[in-house]
Amino acid sequence: MAEGTAIATPGLSSFLKSLKTTPVEPSVAYLISLLKRRQIRNSRQCAVATTALLLRVVGEFKGKDSAKLVERIRQVGRRLTSAQPREVVVGNIVRRVLGLVREVVEDHLDAETNATSDIGHNSQPHNDSLSRPTLSSTISTFSPLKHATAEPLDASTHQSETMSDSGELPKRPGLLTSHTSYVPSSSAPLVNSLFGLFSHPDTPSTSNTPTGHQSPDNKGMLTSLNLERLADFSNSKFDVKAEVMDGIRELQDELDQSDDLIAANALDHIHSNEIILTHTASTGVQKFLLTAARKRKFTVVHVETFPHDHTGTHSVLLTGKNRDHSGDSEEDSFKPLRAAGIQVVMIPDSHVFAIMSQVNKVILATHTVLANGGLVAASGARMIAAAAKAHQTPVVVVSGVYKLSPVYPFDIDELIEYGDPGSVVPYEDGGFVDLVDVENPLYDYVPADLVDLYITNLGGHAPSYLYRIVADHYRTEDINL
Amino acid sequence: MSEPVVREAGHPPVTAQADTTSNPTPQPQNDAKNATSTPSKGKPKLSGVELKKLKQAEKQARRAAQKAAGEQLQGQQKTPPAKDGQKQVPKDDKSKPLPMRRRPSNPNVLVAKEPKKDTKKEPKHANLFFGHLYNQPRLHSVVGASKDVHPAVLALGLQYSSYIICGSTARMVSMLVAFKAVIEDYQTPVGTSLARHLTSHHLSPQIDYLRSCRPLSIGMGNAIRWLKDVIIKIDPSTPESEAKRELITDIDNFIRDRVIAADQLISDYAAKKIEPGDVILTYASSSIVESTLLRAHLDGISFSVIVVDSKPLFEGKRLARNLSQHGIKVRCFSYSGAAHAVKDASKVFLGAHAMMSNGRLYSRVGTASIANLANSNSIPVIVLCESVKFTERVALDSIVGNEVAPAEEILSERERQALLPLKVNGEEEAVTTTNDVWKRVEEAKNLQLQQVLYDVTPAEYINMVITEYGSLPPSSVPVVHRLSTNA
Repeated sequence: MAEGTAIATPGLSSFLKSLKTTPVEPSVAYLISLLKRRQIRNSRQCAVATTALLLRVVGEFKGKDSAKLVERIRQVGRRLTSAQPREVVVGNIVRRVLGLVREVVEDHLDAETNATSDIGHNSQPHNDSLSRPTLSSTISTFSPLKHATAEPLDASTHQSETMSDSGELPKRPGLLTSHTSYVPSSSAPLVNSLFGLFSHPDTPSTSNTPTGHQSPDNKGMLTSLNLERLADFSNSKFDVKAEVMDGIRELQDELDQSDDLIAANALDHIHSNEIILTHTASTGVQKFLLTAARKRKFTVVHVETFPHDHTGTHSVLLTGKNRDHSGDSEEDSFKPLRAAGIQVVMIPDSHVFAIMSQVNKVILATHTVLANGGLVAASGARMIAAAAKAHQTPVVVVSGVYKLSPVYPFDIDELIEYGDPGSVVPYEDGGFVDLVDVENPLYDYVPADLVDLYITNLGGHAPSYLYRIVADHYRTEDINL
Repeated sequence: MSEPVVREAGHPPVTAQADTTSNPTPQPQNDAKNATSTPSKGKPKLSGVELKKLKQAEKQARRAAQKAAGEQLQGQQKTPPAKDGQKQVPKDDKSKPLPMRRRPSNPNVLVAKEPKKDTKKEPKHANLFFGHLYNQPRLHSVVGASKDVHPAVLALGLQYSSYIICGSTARMVSMLVAFKAVIEDYQTPVGTSLARHLTSHHLSPQIDYLRSCRPLSIGMGNAIRWLKDVIIKIDPSTPESEAKRELITDIDNFIRDRVIAADQLISDYAAKKIEPGDVILTYASSSIVESTLLRAHLDGISFSVIVVDSKPLFEGKRLARNLSQHGIKVRCFSYSGAAHAVKDASKVFLGAHAMMSNGRLYSRVGTASIANLANSNSIPVIVLCESVKFTERVALDSIVGNEVAPAEEILSERERQALLPLKVNGEEEAVTTTNDVWKRVEEAKNLQLQQVLYDVTPAEYINMVITEYGSLPPSSVPVVHRLSTNA
């Protein structure tokens, strides 16, 4: 095994392996070099690497001062993001971890103030009712959850949902006024999951999160809940580090499962005999389509994405495995769509407009989703989305929440990465390369108005709603690292 | 009006045979040979259906032989019965399963290969979008061409099918030039007149051959229609040599007036649209766009060009090379970078394969997306098109009428090489040659590669069409078309 790692080309897998043995500082340096050399690329790989590294960073952190911990994470995050500013996901993960720390600390403080009167559950209602007006008026991102946690306690029962519903009634207006758009989509499943949490208070939260296919609504929220609960139960020996690490592990779980959670939505969006157009060799999209393929027969038109992802596309279509991601082959290997009985038609990029009149739905993979509802995706996406718009074909973007970035695209060009022009015109053609500027943009920015729907691991959202999810996942104080 | 007739004769296999009627004796033999070759091929599994077919083929051959014998007496009346015979053969062919269809025309060399290829291709023919467009495979060799086809045309056909001559204007002009050679070498048989014989008997096999190499472009269709018109109008009393001379000068004039002068006018006019500092975006390669840009460059206007290129023909590369060699600043994008290219552009110049009568532009596949992007960025889209390429045909989408290109062209050698280490069915061994890669892709179940050559750009994306008559909105295309055909 050791020899294998030595020989293997540097990448995500080698980084994860080395992380176990190498101390933190060299690991940070190693990741930075991997990012700089583009040996780790693609949002998912960057996200996985960053979470793994931050887990180590937090784990090795000495001292109990949470402010210092925040500063430390920030400092690592700054170095990572400046190493590869275009992999926005790195920054996203850092911000989420920072948010986690803040949350743990705040919850702890909260719990302490609550606990001063009595740790008993009965004292909670009074406290809650007292604090409610102020809370509902603040636009703290996690305030609705604080209400939610209080509710089951309020009803002082753990079983009956009807009870909690009735008990909830008077509070509803408060929630609605502060977060109108938020309530209808997620309040009911949230209560469900809360019951799950409180009826088994000792089960590790990790086992809870994956179960909820009907309540995948808010992983980040659940994270915060669990932490709060932990704070409640163990405030005597409060340990920021351990809780943050738990939170990071849940973040890792979220990364692991986001594809599956997204794919769970597939049947809601794909009906029989549809013709679906997609591009690039995205694992997420393939899984999404495969899930739908289990129940329904449809046709997939796959755009080749020449010149930067055509090989990946070809190999995904043929084998279901993206050759480029040789590192995590086990995770990435699934049977190709065509083996699932799905008719796949591959077309060159230039054919998109010609075919679009026949297409029912466009499903795009993405690199980063931005807070304004726009996205950065493999180049060609803009052209596809524009063609879809011209034909009134709905465009669905499939993306994990971890790709959702609080960055607002003031300067779009900054986010666009340019690749090897040799893949457009080979360097052997010296005369040509000398005279002509060959450009190979790897990403396209697709504005929000070209997108009809986002499907994340939390469910489907309109592009205009994304800012809200951003607010749920990131703290405003962390937006500038 | 003669078009449908030509199309009828368009089954190259059959025509090839029927055209041998000029020396009627070999034909029955030929047919008989084919008939016998059929059973010899299918001997191991001679089913009832095949027996029936065999019988039909024999009957057909007999009938043809009788007819040919009858015709021998009066050569002039040969045409209609021969047509009749042709018509019946294709009908008969249609009842046959696909593997049999193309056999009679091909000499035995090809026949040996054919069945294998066909069984493999059959599922692919159940093509999702362009299934209706697959009628016959493209011819890549002179094998199987009618013996009436002039050598100049034979060579031209190969150049068509291998994209050596590409672009609708180039194809049209080269065809007319080849036809000049054909007409020059033509001798009217005794007992008929040039006006009556040349078109149907001598020109149509050439056209059929060209069509079997690559479907005719709309410009070519227009030119052929014009040429037939001219031939028909020749007074039968004119001596043959004089008529031929007249025809050749007519063709020369046509090329001069409708193409060379028109190009000149258009590029003069369009070059004026280029202002200093402009960034002109163009897609793929159009001869008229190229000459316009060169003209503007010679006029001393400083501007730069963005060329967007696409697989698999990479025509844009050729254009970019030519322009840059003349000192024009050129940037080159692959198709997926089109959105970035359009963003930087200030005007879009497009060439045309044809302008449809509903104002839509029929051009190299990918043009529509470029126009769409340009339109959404509020960049003017200017189409340069000679009026010869205007057509009375209309189209709403790119699916109904199009030209399907062979799918294997999509995967270039380099891309196949990149797929070499791929293991398709898990434990299966990786292949070693790029041909095997293609075989694997082709055989992959439920996977199709599709490729067409053209698409239709909606008229609302086009701000201006520049022709030799001046610049006009796309809605004026039918008017100009009438004008140019009546003139």
